[in-house]
Amino acid sequence: MNFPIAEWLPTSSAINLLAGVFLLSALYALSQRRTAACIAGYAWNSISLGGIALLVAAQTHARHIWFAAALVLAVKGFLIPRLLRRTLARLKTRAEAEPFLSIPASSLIGGALVALAFSQTRELFGAGTTILAACLPISVATALVGLLLMVTRPQALMMVVGLVLLENAIFLAAVSLTYGMPLVVEMGVLLDILVGVALLGLFVGRIEESFESADISRLTSLKG
Amino acid sequence: MLWILPLALAAPVTAALCLAFGGSRARARIAIGGAALVLALALRLAWRVLSGGPIVAANGWLAADALSALLACIIGGVGLASAWYGNSYMAHEGQGHESAGWAAGRYEALFHLLLGSLVVAAVANNLGLLWVAIEASTLGSALLVGYYRRPGAVEAAWKYLILCSVGITLALLATVLLYYSAVGSFGESGAGLQWTALRDVAPRLEPRFVRLAFLFALVGYGTKAGLAPMHTWLPDAHSQAPTPVSALLSAALLATALVALLRFHALAVRCVGPAYSEGLLVFFGLASMAVAVPFMVIQGDYKRLLAYSSVEHTGLVTLAVGLGSPLALLGGMFHLVNHALAKTLAFLVGGSLGGGIGSRRMDHWSGVIESSAPLGALFVVAGVALAGLPPTALFLSEWLVMLGGLRAGKQAAVIVALLALAVVFVALAFHWTRMALGKPRAPFTDPLPASSHRPLWLLATAVILLGVWLPGPMRALMEQAARVIKP
Repeated sequence: MNFPIAEWLPTSSAINLLAGVFLLSALYALSQRRTAACIAGYAWNSISLGGIALLVAAQTHARHIWFAAALVLAVKGFLIPRLLRRTLARLKTRAEAEPFLSIPASSLIGGALVALAFSQTRELFGAGTTILAACLPISVATALVGLLLMVTRPQALMMVVGLVLLENAIFLAAVSLTYGMPLVVEMGVLLDILVGVALLGLFVGRIEESFESADISRLTSLKG
Repeated sequence: MLWILPLALAAPVTAALCLAFGGSRARARIAIGGAALVLALALRLAWRVLSGGPIVAANGWLAADALSALLACIIGGVGLASAWYGNSYMAHEGQGHESAGWAAGRYEALFHLLLGSLVVAAVANNLGLLWVAIEASTLGSALLVGYYRRPGAVEAAWKYLILCSVGITLALLATVLLYYSAVGSFGESGAGLQWTALRDVAPRLEPRFVRLAFLFALVGYGTKAGLAPMHTWLPDAHSQAPTPVSALLSAALLATALVALLRFHALAVRCVGPAYSEGLLVFFGLASMAVAVPFMVIQGDYKRLLAYSSVEHTGLVTLAVGLGSPLALLGGMFHLVNHALAKTLAFLVGGSLGGGIGSRRMDHWSGVIESSAPLGALFVVAGVALAGLPPTALFLSEWLVMLGGLRAGKQAAVIVALLALAVVFVALAFHWTRMALGKPRAPFTDPLPASSHRPLWLLATAVILLGVWLPGPMRALMEQAARVIKP
């Protein structure tokens, strides 16, 4: 079951291209102030992840990778961004708070993290032996960008976007190291992530209800 | 096969039944009966493992060795006590103005879903399934933590979800790295995720990646187990949840996450030798004890005090495994059991007392013994146990750990741990004498029927009985569990 485009394109360059889109979309999310734009960045991030998984499936001819790639596209590329957008639409406060760190500063730090990830991953894993060696530094860089997004934004929903970006990065690492995990495990992981995002969305609403703002900087009632 | 699968399915089926029979009076009986069934099957499984050795079932997805059987028994015991007590407690809570107003049966269903995910995590052999089960336990319990309609509960649930989700994502990376380290041994087949298979080929795994995997598992599952400095969600979540859920979180969920970490430790020991991961466990164990102790001294809220005490006790078990001698490991396993019994007792008796006094602030509590003799006695047993005094079993297990540490030649760690335990003793003695003795401020009426004391008496008896008499089979099970971690 080969994919015609996969034969037509030199596959490894196609994977590299998609990996570039993966990293750039994460950086795009980091450099945007509006939550809606960050969610769009995440959606592109997921779609490129699904694309990479599809290309890997085309190369390895493994049926379970085809199925897993389709699931990634459906859950991460479609369902989770939809859930996030619906949560955003339900919020009553429209004004978006200033980030803890200005956008240019966090973009600069994001760039530094990418450089760090590339240099250190090479050190640890050497020039890779798998066909997806280039993906590993990108996945480490994206994980760091996701974490940076989580700690620099006051909006509760942005923390969720950072978290799902981090999860995407781990998925890319799984695909590039081992061509993904067994299908049943992959399905369980995706289900957990989907339910997790739904729950987090629910609590974003409850935070706004209880604290009159969906900003986490108000969450200071529990101490000691 | 015969015993694992029903054990893994008992709690989720109970959850479905609780929803189905939500409106009827059979719901309470189903909830308690389901928890009792989990405990009975766990005990049967432990017996089977003791007499016939470890078993692998369901195509390698599930397995039971002494460690998982011991953990399943802990989960079953805590689950039964919390469900039993929770039956009268939640009926009373459901009338309060802060109650969530959930549909009948929803609380019980979520409780059993949480219980079920913990049991599956205990008997999972596939590390991917282990991850899925532990993440499911986060999701199941987050709604329970946010049960009350007050800002504090929302804040606690949010922190819990976010921090544990980030942690568990790192644990997923650890799982992937371990899978990758085994590619040389298994190729791309699913066997590379099975713990038993990984254990058998451990010396041939790629050491660099095993080390890295352990590190990520330590941060990932360590967050969920409440190891400092990743423990910050724990006092909030455990103090804001309804009391039976607090007990389940503190006594069973922390133990499950810790055992998940110990599975990675066991592989690291067999692959790169004990020095690497044991050193890290000693460090994080001591750090958890040291961080928790000052917060216990200055604490004003009863449930937060118990939550910090959980950080301290989890740290002690982590330390015990890190010390590494057979005696310390035995003490660590014993302490896992004892902490579960004592902490469940302390939370549940606090639920009755707090409900009657109308506050969880400890400065509002006084004269507990005079207020109610049975609750006062149970309260004192809980305090004596948590402080690690004889004749309770916690004294024995803490003593075993310290002795084991000296045998392993790690005097410095033992001295630091003893200092922390001494301060804990002083702090608990101070809080408990102030609360238990003296005159009650206001007339006290137990908000719950006297039948709610029955699970508490069972827990108190167990915690004292194990301090003076350790049954042979239980000792054998704990010794075998210690050898699962370190041969």
